[in-house]
Amino acid sequence: MSIATTPGPRTIAERISRLNWGIITLLCALAIVGVLMHFSVANSGARLDMPMTHGLRFAVLLAVAVTAAMFLDTRFWLAISYPLYAGALLLLLAVELFGETRMGATRWLSIGPLSLQPSEFMKVGIVLALAKYYMQIGPRRAGAMVWSLPPFLAIIAPVALVMHQPDLGTAMLIMFAGLATMFLAGLSWWIVGSGVVLGALGAWFAYSYVLHEYQRNRVDVFLGLSNDPLGAGYHVLQSKIAIGSAGLFGRGYLQGSQAQLDFLPEKHTDFIFTMIVEEFGLIGGAVVLLLFGALMALAMQVALRARTMFSKLAAASVAAMLASYVLINTAMVIGLVPVVGIPLPMISFGGTAMMTLMVGFCIVLSIDLHKDAHGSRGWLW
Amino acid sequence: MKRGKKVGSTLPKRDVNVIFSRRAALMSFVGVGAIGAVITRMAHLQATNLFSQEYSNAADENRFDTRIVAPPRGVIYDRFGIVLAQTSKDYQVSIVRDDVEDLETAIARVGQILGLSPIWARRAKVRVESGPRGEPMPICEGLTWEEFNAVNVRLPELRGVIAGSADVRAYPYDVVYAHPLGYVAKPTQRDIDRAMQTEGEGASRAMYLRNPHVRVGKAGLEAKLEGTLHGHAGWRKVIVNARGVEMGEDPDERRDPVRGSGVVLTLDHELQRTAMQNFAQQSGSAIVMDIVNGDLLAMASAPGFDPNHFVNGIGRDEFAGLNTDEMKPLFHKAVTGLYAPGSTFKMMVGIAAKQAGVSDDWSVSCPGYFPYGGRNFHCWRREGHGRVNLHDAIKHSCDVYFYQAALQAGPDRIAAVSRKFGLGEHFDVGVPNILDGWVPDPVSWRERRKEGWTGGLTLNYGIGQGALQVSPLQLAVMAARLGNNGRAVVPRLVREAPGVSEPAPAPIIDGIEPEFLARVRDGMFGVCNEPGGTATRAGALELVRDPQSGAAVGRTSENASWQPVQIAGKTGTAQVRALTDATRGRHFSTIEWRYRDNALFCCFGPWHDPRYACAVIVEHGGAGSAVAGPIAREIMRAALLRDPSRRAPANLAALEPPPRSQA
Repeated sequence: MSIATTPGPRTIAERISRLNWGIITLLCALAIVGVLMHFSVANSGARLDMPMTHGLRFAVLLAVAVTAAMFLDTRFWLAISYPLYAGALLLLLAVELFGETRMGATRWLSIGPLSLQPSEFMKVGIVLALAKYYMQIGPRRAGAMVWSLPPFLAIIAPVALVMHQPDLGTAMLIMFAGLATMFLAGLSWWIVGSGVVLGALGAWFAYSYVLHEYQRNRVDVFLGLSNDPLGAGYHVLQSKIAIGSAGLFGRGYLQGSQAQLDFLPEKHTDFIFTMIVEEFGLIGGAVVLLLFGALMALAMQVALRARTMFSKLAAASVAAMLASYVLINTAMVIGLVPVVGIPLPMISFGGTAMMTLMVGFCIVLSIDLHKDAHGSRGWLW
Repeated sequence: MKRGKKVGSTLPKRDVNVIFSRRAALMSFVGVGAIGAVITRMAHLQATNLFSQEYSNAADENRFDTRIVAPPRGVIYDRFGIVLAQTSKDYQVSIVRDDVEDLETAIARVGQILGLSPIWARRAKVRVESGPRGEPMPICEGLTWEEFNAVNVRLPELRGVIAGSADVRAYPYDVVYAHPLGYVAKPTQRDIDRAMQTEGEGASRAMYLRNPHVRVGKAGLEAKLEGTLHGHAGWRKVIVNARGVEMGEDPDERRDPVRGSGVVLTLDHELQRTAMQNFAQQSGSAIVMDIVNGDLLAMASAPGFDPNHFVNGIGRDEFAGLNTDEMKPLFHKAVTGLYAPGSTFKMMVGIAAKQAGVSDDWSVSCPGYFPYGGRNFHCWRREGHGRVNLHDAIKHSCDVYFYQAALQAGPDRIAAVSRKFGLGEHFDVGVPNILDGWVPDPVSWRERRKEGWTGGLTLNYGIGQGALQVSPLQLAVMAARLGNNGRAVVPRLVREAPGVSEPAPAPIIDGIEPEFLARVRDGMFGVCNEPGGTATRAGALELVRDPQSGAAVGRTSENASWQPVQIAGKTGTAQVRALTDATRGRHFSTIEWRYRDNALFCCFGPWHDPRYACAVIVEHGGAGSAVAGPIAREIMRAALLRDPSRRAPANLAALEPPPRSQA
């Protein structure tokens, strides 16, 4: 019990000094890239308050996340994991029944002046719930078929509900986060292998029966089954033009013609990575990707250093979720995968994804800060 | 979580740690690989572009657009350099369709500021929607400075609305030159379709015509001289955004438009204005011509219309009003109006009779009618003229004399003489829709009417009635050729323009004995100046000749002893349809306007040294002596006092620098 005698951080100053400043710095760096890009977006005629809003929103969320991480340790996350999952699932059901429809999708719940998107809670909820589940069943059962069934069901239920909204991007993120947790917990390779096969079949099934017309169009265009430069393929075509013509160093800040002249749609949200590449070149794009890579690595490091399976799984799953966001988004804007509405974390405009990931990093920071804290040990000891 | 509440485990801690670490590492590798794939893909896109320029070209194609710059149209001058048609600045409000949030709201706001009707708003919407998406489309033109400012100060709240000025064709004297100049207007769909069908540059021409700022000549000289006046379009390379809205310009890549060439006309603004003013509310045409070189100094058709209203598209109601007016304001009566010449034709009959061998002594007795073929042909004067010879017959315009003269001459000879004096001849003065009328003879009569010529037709021919139809321009040419002693002068309207050369001196008309000509000229002098002449009112010019300079001046008590300046002419009162019992003998004012007689007058002067010929037709004006004569007198008086033929005309090279050669 030598480790147990090492106390967690006691004073505020101690807590501040032992925060994972690497993660915070990287988050800030990415948000600054976002502010720069939103200034560039605003310069071509949109709203000048966008960069300010973005920066302010990030600062507030970061402050809340860091403060929370300083005072909440793993016990808190363990305590809320099942209730959070159950609550999010109930809210998703409520959305299904009483949800508010905006732009053809039913994703929102209105409670007075508040507007909730329960699928975002589910992203965190699934990770925490599965991490707790695997901590509770222990490592021996983690690889067993029977014990893997409840997590599968726990993933499929919210994914199906979110798909039905429809919100393919969020559904995919919930699924990836959940599957990543299962995989890290020691899912049997047999299941992993047959899952890949089943996944392929499922994708075909989804394409044929589940996907909506607009989603199927995107896939068709991506697969080259239809050529429609002004329709579903327009976004990616313009994005490819911008990236292809940018060169190694880009056209220069505020100089990207595709973005500045509005040829690039959704440039402040889903296609902001294209704008980064257009104005800062291949090198700029690679630097941003490396920043994300470093952030994932730091989160993974937290997971490896953590002392309980719950902490390890939670932190690593947050890293996996971040990777899912970044990779789906960037692969989409360069035409590697079909168009899915997933923003680039910390850079794209909008508070939803930023808040979700900030909660995720709040958990990571908290796990890192309180890893030696008394009572936070799980079944490893 | 209480301490010690552990789920049982038989695995060593190390092994569990290793499984997690291994899988985390594996996952990290996949992540790194995926990041690598994204970067590789980006590099691949750029490498492709390095060789094919595929994406760079596509980006350029996106951001650059070529915008047409319409050239300033050539200026039209009168003979002394007064500007009759020019390009001037016009204040306009335009809308960029793809830049407005809601087109109808934006139009409604502009309409509200300017106090325009919902009908205008509907038209404006159609205009904007028919134009290119990203280019400003004018919705309201011809604004006053106050109206322009009213919109201008509200622009910040009107996204996509532009208040600016544009080049627009302007006709400063509006109605005065409406017919000879015509007007420019937007190309119609027909123009565009026609351009599309032409080989070669048809498609680009059609695209040019679709530009909202392009105007083409639609009537008059503007239409006929389109090639000269239009100039050559330039273009600009502009940077546009995705909605086509112009964001900037590449100053190095542009071609300036080349201004259209100016054109100097033969018209004299003073005379043209005098002619138009003298018509007052009447309908008709007046022409003043230089009988030496054929310059048309005035070419008026009344009533006029304001060609400025056509430039930006005329309203449907306004156009319908012009189109259905029984005075036909849109009609270029000077060249397109055809009228029976009536008694003004009698000089031709007189010459033809002379040629047929009628002697100077030949005279007829006029009892007021002439029995022929079982019916009586009336003289305009019921009580008759008594015994008249050629001179008196012209002076009094005796119909009975000319019935018999026509019988002596025969229709073939009358037609031949008429054609030598320009009647029925095509004079291409450069305006469209010139009609040549008809000088009938037995052969062409049979061809057209499928029936034989009769003696009764010859009698009617003798007084310029029947199938004979001439234009005011031809009538002026006839007067000119009588005035210049039988020279085949040809009228012209364009004095100086690219491709227009000085006319050759008019040749003598062959086959016309000078003596015969002198007889009818004497008769015409009598009409205006001798007691009993039908147009002594028209002849009362009250002008005298300065013995030193020879110039005409108004008669005053001091110079009353100087030689008078006189003109020679002929009146005409032509029926527009055969007299019926309903109209015969009825007072003029009780007959419906469109059935009243046409009043005509043609003349030349000054008598001592003829230089100007003038023809006036007042549609349904009544008697030529009472209505057309006084108008002609005022115009001739102005012409003789001003004597524009003897002033140095303007020179195009002095009026404007030569247009830059085409790039």
